[in-house]
Amino acid sequence: MVQILDVMEKALEGTPMSESDYQLRRFAPKVQEKVKEYGIEYNEKTPIPDDGSLADDVFEAAIELLADVGAYCTSTARVISYSEEEIRRAISEAPKEIELGEGRDRRKLRGRKVGDKTPPWCLLGTGGGACSSDKSFITLVEGYAEIPETNGITTPAITRVGGMRIRPASPLEILGAMRNAVLAREACNRVGREGIPIMNSLSTAESDIAFAAALHPKFGMRRSDAYMICCMDPLKTDFARLNKVTTALSLGGPISMCMGPLLGGYAGGTEGTAVSNVAHHLMGILTYQSSWILPFPLHLRYVSSSCRELLWVISATGQAISRNSHIISLNLNYTSAGPCTPMCLFETSASVIAAVSSGLSIESVGVASNRYEDRTTPVEPRISAEVGHAVAGMKLSDANAIANKLLAKYESKLANPPLGKDLSECWDAGRRRPTKEYTSVIRSYKKSMANLGVELKEEL
Amino acid sequence: MDEKEVQKDLADAILSYDSVAAEKAAKAAIKMGMDPLNAIEKGLSPAIEDVGDKFEKMEIYLPELMLAADAMRTAMSLLLPLIPKDKAVSKGTVVIGTVQGDIHEIGKNIVSNMLMASGFNVEDLGVDVKTATFVEEAQKANAKIIGASALMSSTIGSQKDIIDYLTSMKIRKKHAVMVGGGPTTGQWSKEIGADGWGEDAATTVKLANKLIKRK
Repeated sequence: MVQILDVMEKALEGTPMSESDYQLRRFAPKVQEKVKEYGIEYNEKTPIPDDGSLADDVFEAAIELLADVGAYCTSTARVISYSEEEIRRAISEAPKEIELGEGRDRRKLRGRKVGDKTPPWCLLGTGGGACSSDKSFITLVEGYAEIPETNGITTPAITRVGGMRIRPASPLEILGAMRNAVLAREACNRVGREGIPIMNSLSTAESDIAFAAALHPKFGMRRSDAYMICCMDPLKTDFARLNKVTTALSLGGPISMCMGPLLGGYAGGTEGTAVSNVAHHLMGILTYQSSWILPFPLHLRYVSSSCRELLWVISATGQAISRNSHIISLNLNYTSAGPCTPMCLFETSASVIAAVSSGLSIESVGVASNRYEDRTTPVEPRISAEVGHAVAGMKLSDANAIANKLLAKYESKLANPPLGKDLSECWDAGRRRPTKEYTSVIRSYKKSMANLGVELKEEL
Repeated sequence: MDEKEVQKDLADAILSYDSVAAEKAAKAAIKMGMDPLNAIEKGLSPAIEDVGDKFEKMEIYLPELMLAADAMRTAMSLLLPLIPKDKAVSKGTVVIGTVQGDIHEIGKNIVSNMLMASGFNVEDLGVDVKTATFVEEAQKANAKIIGASALMSSTIGSQKDIIDYLTSMKIRKKHAVMVGGGPTTGQWSKEIGADGWGEDAATTVKLANKLIKRK
């Protein structure tokens, strides 16, 4: 089993190489070589493909990609190489399940299979989106914790402390990360779900020092929470991120490597992005000793994951992982449109259907590309979770038919999406529910979903 | 080999993302005594613009864009020293980087290479660039524009620091500042007193063209 000292040894003694050479002359051509060698082809008519051999090819191509190019440590400018044997062993030794949360909110998070009738694990929140104040932070997290399907919370990011905008790796960031932990736990307590796990371990903590500081038990983080640590696209890490890994490992908290391969980025087009996405999963279980993985592939132009090509990437990744391993993977989706628009709800539905039918669980959702402060409400993750539960067990061919119909509703608007309204405009914090206007949008959306064969809960 | 053939070789080197071929073609241009301005304006520039257009339409992807820009830089490093200083070959210099504490480079790389493809001289400072470094490097390069990228809500504050630093040094008017990156918006740009916001690579290039005329 590869452990942190092995990773450090590899990072210190691996092949020296410039970052530019690694990503442009090693990683990028090798991805395309693997796509060609395995004959992996995207078909725009099937955003959710039903082809097991395609998924298996994506998986094998990803193993070979990682074995051929390795990961890369920017702090040492060296390749962290893994043999194919190490990779296959790590796949077989990856945890089949982990337990998160406390008391009556303690649950087992397991890998899913294609067409699995088990509902997805629903990690709900903003996916790290920014909020403007402690008040909006509390409003949002209380809202997430009240969603019946919530299995875990992904908090927003606090952006200001003491009236000052946070600066990276500064005392402000440390105080912000501590405040993030305290307020998240407090918000869950306030709605009677004190045991629910916080799974993005402090979106405010970008630096290793802020991450480590805020993990002191006095701020409320627990071993039964989860510890999300990003890598950089493609397959890159550095000492700061490995410091976070080492800290989380020492606490015994389950780590998730998160990564956002860009369609149009170093992995090229749709097929390459899927292979890269799976290779990142493998990097995660090796380099970060991740217990679960959080991919959020995005489209370079739309900065969202609801377009046709991204649905294919999500589905191909899910099928590749769930058919060939028991790796636990939760896809985080982003919408282009904002709250209080039908488009936002259709977008998140399509991404969730792609993920859940293909054997993934979900984190949902980054709204309006997570670009705007407070442009998110508890509604969008709730709808995502309802859809996730409703489509568990759905056949890939049925999921594909629905995805095509959903795409027809918003595809042409992705380049210029409606941004909708912000939290204060469409969420009534006092009544803990959406405004009348938003409720009307949700009812109309649910009617459309029912017409597509996806029955959701009645909107009260 | 005549001038047209060498110009074609220069263009082909860019279009095939080949730095070695670009170096060879640039050396051939110099050896035959071709006006280096001609080599750039009729060989390299149309080709790199073509690459930029293809990237914008997503007909090619980031690796091709960056390799083409590498090839362009290789040829330019040989040709530029031969051009008299009073003859401008670029629209102007942009100093660009990702702000302090932020190591995200993809968005910055795309903008950096697209700016180059549209005729700017680009000094790319990389990632995690200190506030003072942006300003010092802009002064050194006589850059009319500073481009500051930030991908995290916890790092965009450093974009404001660059503007405040320029103001406190009493050189704010010397350098236009454009900001961009995931959590940035037009409103944020106005709030911190930036000269503009690049929503994506294409709008950033348009913004740079506008700002360079103003300076």
